[in-house]
Amino acid sequence: MLTQSELTRYDRQIMIPEIGREGQEKLKNAKVFIAGAGGLGSPISIYLAAAGIGYIKIADHDKVDLSNLNRQILHWERDVGRMKVDSALEKLEGLNHGLKIETIKETIDENNVMAIVGDCDVIVDAMDNFPARYILNKVAIEKKIPFFHGAVQGFEGRVLTILPGKSACFRCMYHGTPPQEKFPVVGATPAIIGSIQATEVIKYIVGAGDLLTDRLLIYDGMSMEFKEFKIKKNPQCDHCGTER
Amino acid sequence: MSIEISLHKTHRRYTDGKEVIEVEGNTVGECLKDLVKKYPPLEKEIFKNGKLNAVMEVYLNGTSAFPNELVKPVKSGDKINLIYMLSGG
Repeated sequence: MLTQSELTRYDRQIMIPEIGREGQEKLKNAKVFIAGAGGLGSPISIYLAAAGIGYIKIADHDKVDLSNLNRQILHWERDVGRMKVDSALEKLEGLNHGLKIETIKETIDENNVMAIVGDCDVIVDAMDNFPARYILNKVAIEKKIPFFHGAVQGFEGRVLTILPGKSACFRCMYHGTPPQEKFPVVGATPAIIGSIQATEVIKYIVGAGDLLTDRLLIYDGMSMEFKEFKIKKNPQCDHCGTER
Repeated sequence: MSIEISLHKTHRRYTDGKEVIEVEGNTVGECLKDLVKKYPPLEKEIFKNGKLNAVMEVYLNGTSAFPNELVKPVKSGDKINLIYMLSGG
């Protein structure tokens, strides 16, 4: 049940027919895991907290660096040197104190990922490397929960929503591992991509709209164009394939 | 028999900034080889040990050509998008 305060707080989104009171209650009861509290993790967590996701678990092993501040809007000048998740917890609780927010300060790997994801309903990709994304994709398939992928560089970004058992997975699309290196980016790019990921999560939880399943969305801020490419489920996929 | 290859911006430095290159071939692989013939510095970006570089994505007429991208047949008027994987977050 929503309290009177929650009905007031979320009034503008309860007004949306596809959300309504029922959808808002679904958001309140949802458990979301956000892997990363950096460029993508910032807008994802802020918009999901603002939307009233009842439980948010956010993981990041890193500390805030001055060079993060052009894009990681969860973190401010006074946070430089703090753990990112501590900074994130303070901001998200300040934004919406009614939520339960759990922080994880570990590096996600094959050994701890199942426990870290725990009983969350969805996984949101806010990582900066492919090995971690492959690990998250695999655990999403094992747990049969959605995986919301996002990636950025420069003025460009990508988004794909994965529904295990129904749509192509991250591994159906990618096999390579680009070198993990310092990447250029303007802060508005993860703001756009992270906001799209948050939109997808909200739509999934309330059960509305068309998700970006089997559709890779590519944003190019330089030409200010969005393009879509079709992704096909690979029966031989070593993560989700039925003919492995 | 003309096929258009649209290059990711990462690779346009090898084509004097040109995004779309017309090539010829009966398969995606033949088209990419024709592209490399026209712009040899692209070879090290697109191929690795004679195979498609695993960090490249190939889309044929808007649909992922993965897996076995290089043997996929093409016909005149087809469009190939060659994209580089992004990892930032």
